[in-house]
Amino acid sequence: MSPEPSPLLAVDGVVKRFGGFRALDALSFSVGAGEILGLVGPNGSGKTTCINVISGLYRPDGGSIHFEGRSIGGLASHRLVHAGINRTFQVPRPFLTLTARENVEIAIAYGASREPPGDAETLLASLDLAAFADQPAGQLNSAHQKMLDLARALATGPRLLLVDELAAGLNPAELERVAIKLKELARSGIALLVVEHLMGFIDQITDRIIVMNAGKEIFEGRLAEASRNPQVVEVFLGDENAA
Amino acid sequence: MPRIVRHVLLILLPVVGAFAILPSVYGNQLLLFNFMIFMTLAQGLNIIYGFTGYLPFGYVGFFGAGAYGFSLMVIHLHAPPLIALMVGGSAAVALAVLLTPLFRLSGAYFSIANLAAALAVFQVVSNPNLESVTKGPYGISLSGVFDPALAYGTALAVLAATIGLVIYLRNSHFGMALKAIREDPISASMAGINVVRERVIAWLLSALVAGLAGGVFAWYVSVFYPETVFSVEFTIFAIVFALFGGNATVTGPILGVVILYGIYNAVGISTPQYFQLLYGALIMGLVMFLPNGLASLLQRWGIDVP
Amino acid sequence: MFTYSLLAGLLFGLYFSLIGLGLNLVFGVMRIVNLAHGDFLMLGAFLAFWLFTLFALNPVPAIAIAFLAFAIVGLPLYYLLVPRLLRAKDPEMLSFILFFGLSQVIEAVTTIAFGTSERSIPGDQLGHAVAVVAGFFAGHKVDTGPVELLGQTFPASWVASGVASGCAVLLVYLYLYRTRLGYLTRAVMDNREEAIATGINVHRVSAVAFGIGLGLAAAAGVFAPFMLGSITPAMGAEVTVTSFAVIVIGSLGNPLGTVLGGIVYGISYVFMQSYYSSWANLLPYVLLIAILLVRPSGLLGRRVRRA
Repeated sequence: MSPEPSPLLAVDGVVKRFGGFRALDALSFSVGAGEILGLVGPNGSGKTTCINVISGLYRPDGGSIHFEGRSIGGLASHRLVHAGINRTFQVPRPFLTLTARENVEIAIAYGASREPPGDAETLLASLDLAAFADQPAGQLNSAHQKMLDLARALATGPRLLLVDELAAGLNPAELERVAIKLKELARSGIALLVVEHLMGFIDQITDRIIVMNAGKEIFEGRLAEASRNPQVVEVFLGDENAA
Repeated sequence: MPRIVRHVLLILLPVVGAFAILPSVYGNQLLLFNFMIFMTLAQGLNIIYGFTGYLPFGYVGFFGAGAYGFSLMVIHLHAPPLIALMVGGSAAVALAVLLTPLFRLSGAYFSIANLAAALAVFQVVSNPNLESVTKGPYGISLSGVFDPALAYGTALAVLAATIGLVIYLRNSHFGMALKAIREDPISASMAGINVVRERVIAWLLSALVAGLAGGVFAWYVSVFYPETVFSVEFTIFAIVFALFGGNATVTGPILGVVILYGIYNAVGISTPQYFQLLYGALIMGLVMFLPNGLASLLQRWGIDVP
Repeated sequence: MFTYSLLAGLLFGLYFSLIGLGLNLVFGVMRIVNLAHGDFLMLGAFLAFWLFTLFALNPVPAIAIAFLAFAIVGLPLYYLLVPRLLRAKDPEMLSFILFFGLSQVIEAVTTIAFGTSERSIPGDQLGHAVAVVAGFFAGHKVDTGPVELLGQTFPASWVASGVASGCAVLLVYLYLYRTRLGYLTRAVMDNREEAIATGINVHRVSAVAFGIGLGLAAAAGVFAPFMLGSITPAMGAEVTVTSFAVIVIGSLGNPLGTVLGGIVYGISYVFMQSYYSSWANLLPYVLLIAILLVRPSGLLGRRVRRA
């Protein structure tokens, strides 16, 4: 499936520096509505930085980011949430002293973008968290905390969801459920950018992928073609990836 | 019945009722007044520390600003006490607005900077050069507004309003948002919370509480030195009460004040050094063994503390 | 007036550097905010006072005694308080409150023991030592009066404090950069997790650093009666705030920065006293807030602490 003519998210030549180090080096790509774009690359290639910049945690030092035609580079995170962007965290960060339900409620109360997202009960149930609704988030195991983090992100009704290494630590059954859920979200029109190390998971859910290295994109296309691209292979040489 | 009504009935009414009735059975009105002031301050600190995790070591600065705002209105403009009280509260809020850039700093830096700010305000207010305005180091002596009964009643109203505010926070999305900010500001912003704005609102509310407490204190005592209303004792007390009682609960600071200030009055008034020693040791013990206060102990045992 | 202020500022600056050095070392190594720092300085001052009053001991050897005594006290104190603190969720904030409690305890105990009256040591005591040293170098007996430097006269005690502080700073530098333990200390300052991972006994290094930090505070305290005026048990708080101003100006965790911060602070301090003395009390607070807001990473720009 090729991207639509006017992509939902357009990242154009984005630069992010930390001191002298260029974490993002003129990165460019785009994502269309209803598309699942995979973002892969060796450690340190800038994948999480990319998500951090798009979600407002860092300001870009150069280039531009457009969402639904609006320039959003440098806007504060909460404003991006209201505009319809959200993300999950590599290490889940739920509000530990609040209950699971409250974690979702607060996001609904403060973060809802244009579309009404539904209520906390439904959202928790859709991620198999209904049983934990009244437990403090700190008591959930890490897999459930990841799902709660996803619930929090979805509670704000995003049209673009950035997923940061959701698969790590999930067992095959959980992986399967998450894959189904993500594809369901895409079918409802949400654009997803999925950062992953687990190639099998990527293969299962994405339409196309971007391979990053040293802050730049070095390949764009289908996963199968990527494994035949010599530059990609070289970049991953020595990198262990369970397929 | 909804939680908020339950909290009002179980906590707010008994406390207000107690302080309303006690003066007629217990002679030491000053003691009761001080109890109320400390309870108000502890709750005020609770708003900013318990709910957002920032600990203003210079919290007494707002108290002093309120006291001086009140006093200057009475001295220079002969304002009626209730108007002067509102000005006092506004003075504290104005100071808080001035200090909002401090939120760029994290944890301990914020605390130190805030302490420095309060000490700076004290130095300015007590400077002999400003004697014509603030009476400098010679202290304030208010004439014409001395009315302990009305002042007591107003203090009670301020306490009631403050407890009411904290009950509201405990039961509202705003309070939840503050706790979220305290836990993880980044996650909070990804839940759509405007971290800076909500935090500033809590900060201003907390300052307002201390300012009103300071203003009504000035009204009640009518005579005080700058050291009195900028005394670090107030901050120590408020911190210990809030720490002891546990954060972000309504009853925590109330419990803390009742137990600790009660002990203090039984033991330490005449020997301030022993109070200082006791409280210093208490702070150390709390931090080492019960950093989330008494309320956390109860919560650990499964009791939901309001 | 200007040259006088500048040179006096330098002397005071060296002294303030010494004051800040202990605090900076403790913070740099274990990220602990020792709010009782000024109170340890006060204890050192009282130690010197009592040694002088009871045993007629000249302050100069008292420096070494104060340093050693408190360095030794620091070791068990570290193990008692700090490891538990570092395991908590927010050690920086909790350490702040814990050491605040400690400072109250120290202040209370000292007040109970010694009362609130001000104590002082005659200025010529330090001057005597200066005279002995100067006489040694000059080859003949030297007067114990005021010392002349570049055409300006200063009390001998100021010069002695400045010189001694400079020596202490130098010794700390030598410790950090020329001894093995100092090398390990710098490793821990740089990256605590990695130091643990490479097998360095971080607690032992930290305990020594903590002891040295307290020792430095106490040693600085010996000069306090001469540089800061009379001493009381309640003087700790303001010294602590001043120390913070010094180390924040000079960039946290950077020992060289503390020297720079101390000198900047010292010169500002003396100039304020000379030209705007009635507002001089405001200086530490205003400077601290200004630097925290304008350039929180300090003049040497490392380790920004942003919320």
